[in-house]
Amino acid sequence: MRVVIAECTVDYDGRLSAHLPRAKRLIMLKADGCVAVHADGGAYKPLNWMNAPNVFTEKDDAFVVTNNKNESLTITLHEVFDDVQHILGEDPGLQKDGVEAHLQQLLATEPSRLGDGMTLVRREYPTDIGPVDLLCRGKDNEVVAVEIKRRGEIDGVEQLTRYLDFLNRNPDLSPVKGMFVAQEIKPQARTLAEDRSIEWLEVDYDDLRGIQSPQQQLFR
Amino acid sequence: MKFRCERDVLVETLGTAGRAVSTRSGLPGLSGVQVELVGDQFTVTGSDLDLTITTTIEVSGESDGKAVIPARLAADIVKALSPGAVELSTEDDTLRISAGRSDFSIRLITSDEFPKITDIDAKPVELDAEQLAHALKQVVLAASSDDSRPILTGVLLAAEGDSLRLVATDSYRLAMKDIDGIELLSEGEQVLVPSRALGELHRILANGKSITLRLGEKEASFTVEGVTLTTRLIEGDFPNYRGLVPDHHPNTLTVNRTALLDALRRVKLMAPQEGTPVRIEMNEHGMELVAVTADVGTAREVVESSYVGEDLVVAFNPRFLLEGLEVAPGDDVTLLTTDELKPALIKSVGFDNYLYLLMPVRVS
Repeated sequence: MRVVIAECTVDYDGRLSAHLPRAKRLIMLKADGCVAVHADGGAYKPLNWMNAPNVFTEKDDAFVVTNNKNESLTITLHEVFDDVQHILGEDPGLQKDGVEAHLQQLLATEPSRLGDGMTLVRREYPTDIGPVDLLCRGKDNEVVAVEIKRRGEIDGVEQLTRYLDFLNRNPDLSPVKGMFVAQEIKPQARTLAEDRSIEWLEVDYDDLRGIQSPQQQLFR
Repeated sequence: MKFRCERDVLVETLGTAGRAVSTRSGLPGLSGVQVELVGDQFTVTGSDLDLTITTTIEVSGESDGKAVIPARLAADIVKALSPGAVELSTEDDTLRISAGRSDFSIRLITSDEFPKITDIDAKPVELDAEQLAHALKQVVLAASSDDSRPILTGVLLAAEGDSLRLVATDSYRLAMKDIDGIELLSEGEQVLVPSRALGELHRILANGKSITLRLGEKEASFTVEGVTLTTRLIEGDFPNYRGLVPDHHPNTLTVNRTALLDALRRVKLMAPQEGTPVRIEMNEHGMELVAVTADVGTAREVVESSYVGEDLVVAFNPRFLLEGLEVAPGDDVTLLTTDELKPALIKSVGFDNYLYLLMPVRVS
């Protein structure tokens, strides 16, 4: 990632012509070939940009980016204030819901929170249609597939139903019961789960983390 | 089936039975109410399998019959009709509702999709409806609405000497009421009745003076003035509530209940968010209520009271405190405390048969 702060003018030529008059701007030259020109406003959107694949040419006083659609972006540099380059490496990706992953981790560590006598067989149990969050055994040694969500909605029950359908085809595991776990489960999801003989359970994230609520309880 | 009935009577009847109808069941039969006419007796039954409400009224019957009709739609239609007589009739798979110039035909629900309702085979016990309604109002509020802890969604009915004891707790507070002179259960016997059913019963009790209660092994039924409410009992062990009620409190605050309620409602304005506590500062001069919401402001109010004990600041969820005070009997109440973290007890002066136990909120 190369980051340049410069006084520049920018000219785009392609489907239309556009001109950015001289001003101080941030120019991002990404390792994947994308070039973006940012001002100090406009949130995340660049003033102008050129996606990869493209051809990048660096001249003494300009960056010229062209692509095979006959588009060109010419950034004329009048004064350069900063020009730094860092190798960022591969990004681990966006973790959309840290709470969900943490709930899974906490319940894997303490499966008895899911029910008396519950033990963990495996976390992220693989199936051909995706991994089941937790595969456990209940107090009667029955196999229980556990799907964990932050907010329990109908699509989560549907997802667990698909896993159960798949797991129950395996004679080594069948019969496999389902358990739908979330911090909060919508009434429709509860009804659907009950209709499909899937047990549902709401868990207290703070309680699992050992964080005491200021509101004390008479008993737990 | 064919009969005539006054619109307002029919609206109330369909509405009462309809309160047991499931709004989110996947079973089509449960979205309907079963209607049956025998002579001039018209009976409507709604059920979600856990709760069943049956109500019977007198109508001008023409021909007997039985059917399952869409609960919501039928009730909405009848309610929208002009005041006066309404005629209901069924033929094949259609219900016809007509009044004045209005005429509706709606499809019936298949009868075999409706659950079979059986009577409870148990000895009937008569209770005073007003007394029970008052007790339910004082106790049901403390039951939990969290279905993931089903035991706590129930109200415990237990024998206590020659009284019937009602107990409910959501783990944050506990309400307990003894109704004297009712020997409904044997000593040591107890049942757990869903609070939702008792909430519905409380509505119905307003209509009658006497209630007939039947306790079966897995179900209980309550009959008041032509309305029978049958509920499944909750199975499981209720928390050991006796162990939760402390028998010794070194600090006693005595205050006029209405004055405290009024002050609390005012101070609570500064604790609008659920979870923001109201503090009670108690010392030899009496009590002061304090609510603070950061970035918003502070409310303080001194309430005339007498206090015996050590200087103490204890905080409560204002909603829990208000709800307990609202249903407590009598003019004056005592707030019995041990320290800022142990359960506090609200009792009414001169009334030994009701108590409200409340856990404080931990504040810095």
